[in-house]
Amino acid sequence: MRYTQFTPYDIVLLAQGLGVTIALFLGTSLIGLLIGTLWGVVRFYRVPVLTEVMTFIAELLKNSPVLVQLFLVFFGFPAFFRINVTPTEAAVITLSANTAAFVYVIAVAAIQSIGREQIEAARVFGLTRWQVLRHVIATQATAFAIGPLIALLVNQLQVTSLISVIGVVDLTKIGNILNLRTLQPFIVWTVVGALYYLAAKLLAFFGTRLENRLRAHTAWRGL
Amino acid sequence: MRIDLTLLAPYIGFLAEGALLTAEVCVLALVGATLLGALVAIARTSGSRILRAIASVYIDLFRNIPFIVQLFFFYYGLPEIGIYIDAFTTGVIALSVAGGAYASDAIRAGILAIDTGIIEAAEVSGLKRNTVFTRIVLPIALRTSIRPLGSVLINMILTSSILTAITLNELTGTARIVASETFRPFEVYVVLLVVYAALTYLVSIGINLLHRRLNRDLASEVS
Repeated sequence: MRYTQFTPYDIVLLAQGLGVTIALFLGTSLIGLLIGTLWGVVRFYRVPVLTEVMTFIAELLKNSPVLVQLFLVFFGFPAFFRINVTPTEAAVITLSANTAAFVYVIAVAAIQSIGREQIEAARVFGLTRWQVLRHVIATQATAFAIGPLIALLVNQLQVTSLISVIGVVDLTKIGNILNLRTLQPFIVWTVVGALYYLAAKLLAFFGTRLENRLRAHTAWRGL
Repeated sequence: MRIDLTLLAPYIGFLAEGALLTAEVCVLALVGATLLGALVAIARTSGSRILRAIASVYIDLFRNIPFIVQLFFFYYGLPEIGIYIDAFTTGVIALSVAGGAYASDAIRAGILAIDTGIIEAAEVSGLKRNTVFTRIVLPIALRTSIRPLGSVLINMILTSSILTAITLNELTGTARIVASETFRPFEVYVVLLVVYAALTYLVSIGINLLHRRLNRDLASEVS
């Protein structure tokens, strides 16, 4: 018996792939957001050497292909550090680091968007540097950064498709498998593309809602 | 655990060939993306509602579907409808189509930024609509959108690494071969990472120079 036709089980496969893609996307985005924000805070505290090193690493990660970063982690790390790296681990490390680099840039811009006089006023009132960060900067910076962050995340969702190249069975890999079995590229890649498209649109929709809510207090209400 | 870069020396020529192929693909794709982007930008700024709708659907689709999925769509799909082309041409086409979606936004912004007085003056002088567009609107729009078009090019250089997935041996592809021949993937990919970062950095410097040269007469307005 040959399985060259589409079977109902293919839907399960596609759902599985979509699940892996979304799970990895959410996981790496969370880690990336955390690390990127931490980097931004380190820069805010002006830690001497660390700041320069981080800026350099962020620039390197931003200006090189994600695929090369993936190869470095997946093929390079095991050979050099003599450790085992599974495809999923490599994907998590690379995507998190890559997201963090972009988040770092957004975080720096967001912190800088707040006027000096506000920080000076807060300091004059006797707030510590941490309190300034927590109550004056963090709240406003979040509202400023949310737009670019949503755009970044929509982009990162598409970047996750590259992990199929190192053998993570995500949506793209499932597409590849189905394509090789059924030899119907138009149907397979249209369906896969449509799933990615819907996921991106859904993400953008919730992102815009969140953005509107965070910016509600600064929105123009009319006279 | 030692980084030994001398073992890469015999492969420099081979890697340079790959870099040349990357450059060829990117330059051809940039031309394609600019042409397509200009056409789509015209459609998006035109008076016809249908043209505007088609253009925005195109931009929306190709921005929200991962490049690798688009690439597989072309690579496996085109032979299905009787078009047999090699990986190089497929890569150029896919990069052009994907890049066009981004380039159109840059060019559209350039078109919208043109002072309406200039267009009115041209119309009053009795120039035909086509002439106004090709001789007046487009040159100004392309000139002012050099910088955003440059970032499209930089993105294209990074994205072109994905073409290894369809067996095109550009820079990343050759590096992959070198890595498997030398058994030193770590060194190879670290070097590759730095090469890509340096390449994009040089391109961005070049774009800035070009931007300044082309816009030297309106330096005060677009700095």
